[in-house]
Amino acid sequence: MTFRTRLLLIFTVAVAAAVGVVELVVSSRAREAFETNEAHRVDALAAQVSTEFRRRGEEIVRKVESIAASPGANEMAISPDASKYVNDAEALASTDGLDLLDLVAGDGTIVSSAEWPARFGYKEDWLREEPDWKARGAFLKREDLPDGPALALLAVGTANVDDRRLYVAGGERLDREFLSTLAVPAGMRVLLYSSMGPKFSEAQLIGAGGPAAGGAALRTLIEDMERGQREITRTVGRGVAAETFHALPLTGYDGGLLGVLLIGSSLKELVELEAAMLRTAIIVAAAGILIGIALSWWATARVTRPVRLLAESAGRVAAGDWGATVAVTSTDEMGQLAGAFNRMTHELVGQRERLVQAERVAAWRELARRLAHELKNPLFPLQITVENMQRARESYPEQFDEVFREGTSTLLAELANLKQIIGRFSDFAKMPAPEMEALNLNAVAAETMKLFEGQLAKAHVRASTEFDAALPAVQADREQMIRVLRNLVLNAIDAMPEGGTLTVRTVAMGTGARLEVSDTGQGLTPEECERLFTPYYTTKTHGTGLGLAIVQSVISDHKGRISVASEKGNGTTFRIELG
Amino acid sequence: MEIREAHEKPEEMAAPAGFNLSAWEAGKRAVYAADENAAGGRPYLDSIEIQMGRTLRDQSTDLELGKADVVELGPNELRRQVAGRQVWSSSPVQVVALVFGPRVEDARVREALALAVDRAAIHNVLLQRQGEISGALLPQWLSGEAFLFAPALDMAKARALVSGLPAAARTISLTVSDAAWKPIADRIALNARDAGLVVPVTVQSGNADVRLVEVRLASSDPWRALAELAAELGSAAPAPPEPARAGTAEALYGAESGLLDGFHVIPLFHLPLLFGAGARVKGGPGVTPLGEWHFENLWVEARP
Repeated sequence: MTFRTRLLLIFTVAVAAAVGVVELVVSSRAREAFETNEAHRVDALAAQVSTEFRRRGEEIVRKVESIAASPGANEMAISPDASKYVNDAEALASTDGLDLLDLVAGDGTIVSSAEWPARFGYKEDWLREEPDWKARGAFLKREDLPDGPALALLAVGTANVDDRRLYVAGGERLDREFLSTLAVPAGMRVLLYSSMGPKFSEAQLIGAGGPAAGGAALRTLIEDMERGQREITRTVGRGVAAETFHALPLTGYDGGLLGVLLIGSSLKELVELEAAMLRTAIIVAAAGILIGIALSWWATARVTRPVRLLAESAGRVAAGDWGATVAVTSTDEMGQLAGAFNRMTHELVGQRERLVQAERVAAWRELARRLAHELKNPLFPLQITVENMQRARESYPEQFDEVFREGTSTLLAELANLKQIIGRFSDFAKMPAPEMEALNLNAVAAETMKLFEGQLAKAHVRASTEFDAALPAVQADREQMIRVLRNLVLNAIDAMPEGGTLTVRTVAMGTGARLEVSDTGQGLTPEECERLFTPYYTTKTHGTGLGLAIVQSVISDHKGRISVASEKGNGTTFRIELG
Repeated sequence: MEIREAHEKPEEMAAPAGFNLSAWEAGKRAVYAADENAAGGRPYLDSIEIQMGRTLRDQSTDLELGKADVVELGPNELRRQVAGRQVWSSSPVQVVALVFGPRVEDARVREALALAVDRAAIHNVLLQRQGEISGALLPQWLSGEAFLFAPALDMAKARALVSGLPAAARTISLTVSDAAWKPIADRIALNARDAGLVVPVTVQSGNADVRLVEVRLASSDPWRALAELAAELGSAAPAPPEPARAGTAEALYGAESGLLDGFHVIPLFHLPLLFGAGARVKGGPGVTPLGEWHFENLWVEARP
C-alpha cells in the first residue's frame, strides 16, 4: 500500500468517524430531549385525566345526590308498589345526562334501571354494604350491561324517609365517549382496558376512536399490570410504529384492579428525526469523504511528489548515477530533505573520487612494490654475476673465460626471467577485445583438460568432467576462454599440493551456460574470497596475483559473471555464467 | 281508529257490528259506513275509518295528538297516566307465548328457556298485573283446567340443562312483533342469560329462532279456540280435531298437553285486549268481554 493510499484511507476514516461521532452525540441529545419532552407530555396528560376524573366524579355525585333528594325519590322510597317506577330511571338518567342509573329499594332490589331496564327485581346487595355513601364520593366499578361488562365512574346517593331507603346509584361509562372528551396532544393517545381477568381480550382495549389499533402488542404490559398493579412505563412496537405507554391502574371502591388507563406517546417523530439525522449524517459523511478524497488526493500529491522524486533520485544513485539531484522547490521539511539529499549525493561523489584516487595510489604503490619485488629477485643474481665477472677479470684473468661463460649464461637466464615478468604485466595491461563466436564450452573444456593431463598426473590430481550434453553454444572468444580455463585449472592444481580431484562441470541455463571448476583443496576464507579477484593479490608464494584478475577481466568483457564458493577445508568452486 | 294489523283482504278483519264496508285500501285503510238497516238500529256514528299497519307506539301518539279517536294499547300502556284517555279492556282473550322455530332442534334449549322465564316479575311490573300468568294455551275461564299447566320457574334446572349444551346451541334469537313487546322480551332474555343462554332480541325479524307472539282467541269454544291457536302458533304438534264439542275435559286437556309437549310453544300469559279512546268518544266501552268491537252505541263529540 502506497503512502498516498494510506494517507487517503486515514483521511477518509477520520472524516467518517468524525461524522459518526457527531451523529451519535446529536442523536443521543435529541433522544434525551425528546424523552424529557415526552415525559412532560405524559405527566400533563395524566394530570388532565386525573382532573377529568375528579371533575366528573364531583359532577356525578352532585347529580346523584340531586336525584336522591328529589320528591320523586322520596315517594319511591316509601311507595308500597315499586313496579310503577320501573321506567323512571331511564327518564331521570336522560334528564341528568347519566349513562347509568339504578334506583334500588332499601332491601337491594332494583326498582328501575336506566342502563338495563329489564333488570328490575334483581338484587344489588353491594349497595347495602357501605354505611356512608356520601363520604365515599365517586368511585370506579365494573358494571354488567347488556352489551357486556363496562367500567363506570359511579356515585351512590340515598333517599331516606323514616325507616325506608332508596339507593340512587348513577354514573358514567368509561368508554370511547369519555376518552374522546380528553384533549389529547398530537402524537399521543389514551387507551382504556376495562376487562381485567385471567384472559387478555383485545376487544376490551379501546381508544377515543373505538377499538385500539395494535392492541395485541399491549398484552404483556396489561398482564404485567394485573400482576403488579402499579404504574408501568414501557415502549412497544418498533420503528415508526414504536410507542411509549404509561399505564395507570384503575382500582375500584374495594381496591381491586378494574382496568388500565394507558397514555401512549408515539415515537414516530423521534424515529423519523433519528432517521433524518442518520440520512443527513450519511450524506454529510459521503460528501465529506468525497471532498476528503479530492483534498487528500491533492494534498498527498503535494506531499508525496517530493518524496517520489527523492525516491527516484535515490534509485538513480543506487544505479550508479552519482550526480543525481532533487530540485528544491520549497523551504519546508520536504525542501530541507531534498537539500540534504543533494548534499549527501554531492558528498558521496566527492568521497568516491577521493576513494578512487586513494585506490589508484594504492594500486600504483602495490604495482611498484610488486614490480620492485619481482624485479629485485632477478636483479640480485645479475648484480652478483656481474661483480663476479669483474672480480675474475681483475683477480683471476685465467678463469675469466669460464666465469664469463657461466656469468653470461646466468645473466641470460635472469634476463629471460625479467622478460617473462614484464610480459605478464604487459599482458594484463594489454588485454585485447574479445572476438565473439558461437562456442561450445564442453569442447573448449575438454580440449583444455587434455593439455593438462600430464601436469595433473604429476601433481597427483584426478581430473573429472561433467558436461551437460544439452549445453547451448554461447558467444565467446575461444582463446580468451581457454586462457580463463587454464588459469582456473592452474589455480586448482596449486590449491591441491598433495593431490586431489579437479572437477570441470558445465550446466545449461536456458540460452546460457554455466561453467564450474572445483577443487578439493584447503579452501578459502571469506576474506580471501572477497579479495581474490583483486589484481596482484595472491595466496601463493609464487605468482604475480594477476591470474584471477585476468579471468575476471575476460568474463567481464564477455558480459558474464564469475563467482567463487569456498569453505575452509572443503575446497573451492569457481562458477562462470555466460550468455 | 288505528290498528296494528295490516289486512290485505276485507274478510280478514272483523267488521264492526252495524257498519258496512264502504272503502278498502289493502293493508292501509278501511272505511265502514253506518248500516241504516242495522238490526239494533242505525249506529250513532256515520262512519268509521280504520288506519291499518300502525305500530302501538304510533297509535298511542296519535291518540294523544288527537289524530285518532280509538287505538290499540300495548301491554305497558296501563302504567302511563294520560289525561282524558279512556281504556277499554276485554277479558283475557289473547295468549302471549314463546314459539320456537324449527331451527331450535334441541329440546333442552326450549325447556331451559321455559324454566328460566320469571313470569311473575313480568306480570307484576311490566304488565301491571293485567290478565293472568299461565302455562296453558287456553285461559282458565275458557277451559277450566289451565291451573293444571302451572308454569314452573326452576333456574337451577335450567342452568343444568344449558350446561349440557354445546356452545353454539346456547345462542337463540328472539323477536317480537312490535316494539311495545320488547321490554318483556328483554326481561325474558335476561332470565335466559341467568340460565346460560344468550338471547339477542330484535323487533319484527322473520329469521329469529323464537317468537314472542300474542294471539287472540278467535272463539269461545275451547276446542275451536285450541285448534285455531294451534294453527296460528304453527305448533309442531298435530292440531286437535275440529270441531270437538263432544270431547271431554280430559280429552281437551290431552289435546292441549299434546300441543305443549316438547316445549315448542311456551305459554306465558293470558292478557286482555286493551283499547284507548279519546275524551271525545262517548258511549263506551267500545269492546265486548271477548274483545269484539262494539261501536253501535258510540258517538263522538264535536271538536271545540
